[in-house]
Amino acid sequence: MMTLAQGTVNQTYVIRDVEAKDSMRDFLFTLGCYSGEKVTIISKLASNFIINVKDARYSIDEGLARVIMI
Amino acid sequence: MLANIIVIAVIALIIGFAVFRVVREKKKYKGNPACIGCPYNHSGEGCNRNCG
Amino acid sequence: MKIALAGNPNSGKTTLFNAITGRQEYVGNWAGVTVEKKEGPLKPELNREKADVTVVDLPGAYSMSPFTSDESITRDFIRDEKPDVIINIVDSDNLSRSLFFTTQLLELGVPVVVALNKYDTAEKKQSSIHLDWLSERLQCPVIATIATKSAHNSGLKQLAAEAIRLGLSDYRQPAPHIAGTRHAATEADFEKADKKRYEFVSRIVADVEHRKVSSASQTAQDKADRIIASRWLGIPIFALVIWLVFSLSQAWAGPFLADILVGWLDAFQSWVAGLVSGVNPFLSSLLVDGIIGGVSAVVGFLPLIMILFFCLALLEDCGYMARVAVVMDRFFKRIGLSGKSVIPMVVSTGCAIPGIMASRTIKDTRQRRTTAMLSPFMPCGAKLPIIALFSGLFFGNQGWVGTSMYFLAIVIIVVSGLIVRRITGDASKESYFIMELPEYRWPSIKRAALSMLVRAKAFIIKAGTIILICNAVIQILQSFNWQLQLVGDAPETSILAAVASPFAWLFIPLGFGLWQFAAAAITGFIAKENVVGTLAVTFSVTRFISVDDLALVGGAGEVGAVFGIGAAAGLAYLVFNLFTPPCFAAIGAMRGEMESRKWFWGGIAFQLSMGYTLAFLVYQTGTLITTGAVGTGFVGGLTAVLVIAGVIGFFMKRGSKLSESMEEGVHFAG
Repeated sequence: MMTLAQGTVNQTYVIRDVEAKDSMRDFLFTLGCYSGEKVTIISKLASNFIINVKDARYSIDEGLARVIMI
Repeated sequence: MLANIIVIAVIALIIGFAVFRVVREKKKYKGNPACIGCPYNHSGEGCNRNCG
Repeated sequence: MKIALAGNPNSGKTTLFNAITGRQEYVGNWAGVTVEKKEGPLKPELNREKADVTVVDLPGAYSMSPFTSDESITRDFIRDEKPDVIINIVDSDNLSRSLFFTTQLLELGVPVVVALNKYDTAEKKQSSIHLDWLSERLQCPVIATIATKSAHNSGLKQLAAEAIRLGLSDYRQPAPHIAGTRHAATEADFEKADKKRYEFVSRIVADVEHRKVSSASQTAQDKADRIIASRWLGIPIFALVIWLVFSLSQAWAGPFLADILVGWLDAFQSWVAGLVSGVNPFLSSLLVDGIIGGVSAVVGFLPLIMILFFCLALLEDCGYMARVAVVMDRFFKRIGLSGKSVIPMVVSTGCAIPGIMASRTIKDTRQRRTTAMLSPFMPCGAKLPIIALFSGLFFGNQGWVGTSMYFLAIVIIVVSGLIVRRITGDASKESYFIMELPEYRWPSIKRAALSMLVRAKAFIIKAGTIILICNAVIQILQSFNWQLQLVGDAPETSILAAVASPFAWLFIPLGFGLWQFAAAAITGFIAKENVVGTLAVTFSVTRFISVDDLALVGGAGEVGAVFGIGAAAGLAYLVFNLFTPPCFAAIGAMRGEMESRKWFWGGIAFQLSMGYTLAFLVYQTGTLITTGAVGTGFVGGLTAVLVIAGVIGFFMKRGSKLSESMEEGVHFAG
C-alpha cells in the first residue's frame, strides 16, 4: 500500500485507510476523508500537499500525507 | 472670574460626559471600562470576556 | 423566538448574521474566525410579523457526532437553549461535505431552513443545483442566498420569512431516513451511521447537483497557490505583503492624511486657547493642553489606523490568510507552533483582542496558549501612534523603522516560541497540520470600508472617553504637589512625578529614566494610545506632526529636544512599549484563552521580562555604537537582565529534564 505522500500530482486515488490517532482520524472523517472515498493531489509543495476531498481544498503537511493510505 | 467659572463648567461637562459614557459602558456590557468602544465586545449579551 | 445559524466553518454564517441583524461582527475568509456565539435582534425590515426574534451566530462545525466533534458550542447551544428554528448555512460550492452536518441538524426535531449560500460562485462556475429536488429530499425549505449582496437580490428576505413562519409554528422537523442513526450508541455504531450519512448525501448530490467542471481538476487558483504557498517564494511574498500594508498606512497615505487632520485640530486648539486667554492658567492649561491637546495628539494618528484596518480587511477577505498559515507552517513547526498560529498574529496587527481569541481554533492546548501569549508582541493598531511618533522623531520619518518593528516582533516571537517550548518540555512531536483553503475572491471594498469606519468610530469614542479622562487626570496630577499647591514651572515636584519616579528609577538602565516616560508607559496599560497622549501632556507638547513640513517632526526638531533623550533611548522606549504586556482589555482576552493561572501569570511575567531585556539591549548597544561607551545604569540593568535570564534558563533546564523523563504525548495539566 502506498501513502498519499508517495502519490503524483493531478492524480485521483481511493483512500484505503487512515492510520492517524483517533481524534485526527475522526476529524478527517467529518471532512469526508475516510476509506472508500476519493482524494486528488492538486499540488505538492515541498513538505505541504494540497488535496481535494469532497469538493473542498485542504493543505496538509507531510506527516498527515504519510498516514493516508491509498 | 466669570470666565473662570465658565471654563470650569465646560471642563466638568466634558469630563462628566466621558465618565458617564464609561460607566454606562461598564454597566451595559459588564466589561472593562478600557474596552469602551471596542467593537469586538458587543456581542449582544454583554461583554463575555471578563476582562480585568 | 431564537433563530440559530449553524453550518460548516467559512460558509458565510457571520456575513449572513451581519446582513440580517445589522451588526458588524468580525468576518474573515478562513475557517475558524467565529469562536464564540454572537446574538443580535433581527432587522425590523425583515421582521414583518414584529415577532420578538433573536438571531444567534454559532461557530462553524463540521459535525455534531458525540465522538468525532470537539466543536461543542453548537451542540450545547441546541441542546440547552432550544432554538425555535435553525438556519443551516451551506456553501453552494460544497454540498458533498456540507450536507453531512445538515443531516445531523435535521434529526433534532427543530425546524430547519437551508440557506444555500454563496450561490453566486455556483452560478459563476456554471454548476446547477436543483433547489426543489434538494428541498424534497431533505424535507425542509431550501433557499438560495448571497449574503454579500444587498437586501434586494440576496434571498435574505425570503429566508427570514420562512424561518419566522416555521419558528412560530409547532412544526416538528422530520428526520431523514438514514439507517442506523436512531439507535447508535457506541463509537462503532456512530461510525457506521456516519458512513451511511455520507452515502445518503452522495446520492442526493448526484441527483441534485450538476457540475460543469470537476472540483478535482486544476484551476488558475491552484497555479497561483503553487507560487504563493511555494517553499521559496512563500515567505518573501508574505514579507512583501506586510511591507506594503504597513508602508501604506505609516509612510505614504497615512501621514499625508494625518497632517491635514492635525492641521484642523491645531486650528481648533488655537481658537480655544484664544477664547480662554484671560482665564486662570491652570484651568486654561487643563482645557487646552490636557484635554484638547492630549486627545488631539492621539486622534491625529487616526488616518494611519484607518488605513491599516482597511488594508487588513482586504487581506482578510481575499482568502490569502489560509495560505499564510501554510507558508509559515514549515517554519513554525520548528519552534513548536503550527502554521495556524500565524493567523492570530496577523489579526493582532489590527487589534490583539480578536487576535488572541482567534487562537481558540488551535487544537493543541500548549500551542494555543503559547500563541495567545505571543500574539500581542505583534504591534497592534493602538501602538501605531507610538511607532509613528518615535520613528518620526528620532529617525526622520524613515519607513524602515516602522516596518522593522514588525519584523523584530516576528523574530522575538520565534525566539520566545523556542524558549516556551523548552520550558514546557514538550516532547510530543505528533502534531498534524490541516487547513482548508477557501477560494480566492476579490476583496469587497465596501466591507473593508465598513470595517475601517467601525474601527474609526471605536477609536474616536475611546479617545473621547477613556483617553480624555486619562489625560485630564494626568494633567491634574502633574499640576499639583502633595500640598495641593500649583507647581507651575516645577513639574518634578508634582504628585504624578512622585508616583512615577520609583518606576522611572527602574528604567534608568533602559535610557528613559524620566518620570514622564514611566507615567506614559503605565497609562499605556489602560490603552496603548495613552502613551502618546501622556507624553504630550507631561512634556506639554501637542504637535507631533508638523503642519508646515507635512511630516512627522523630525530629529533636531523641537519635540526631540524637549524629550531630552537620544535616539538609542528613544528606540529603546519604543521597543519597551511594543513588547511589554498589552492593554488591560487584551490581557483580559489572554486570561480567557489561558484557562490557567500558571500560564497567565507566567505569560505576563514573560512579556515584562522581554520588554525590559530588549529595551536594555537596544539602549546599551545603541549608546555603545554611537558614543563608544555604555549608557547610564549599565551595571544595574545588566544585573537585572542576568537575573531574568537566569530564571528563564532555570525553567528551561527543568523543562528539558522533564521532557526526557516524560512519555510522548503527555502534557502538563493546568
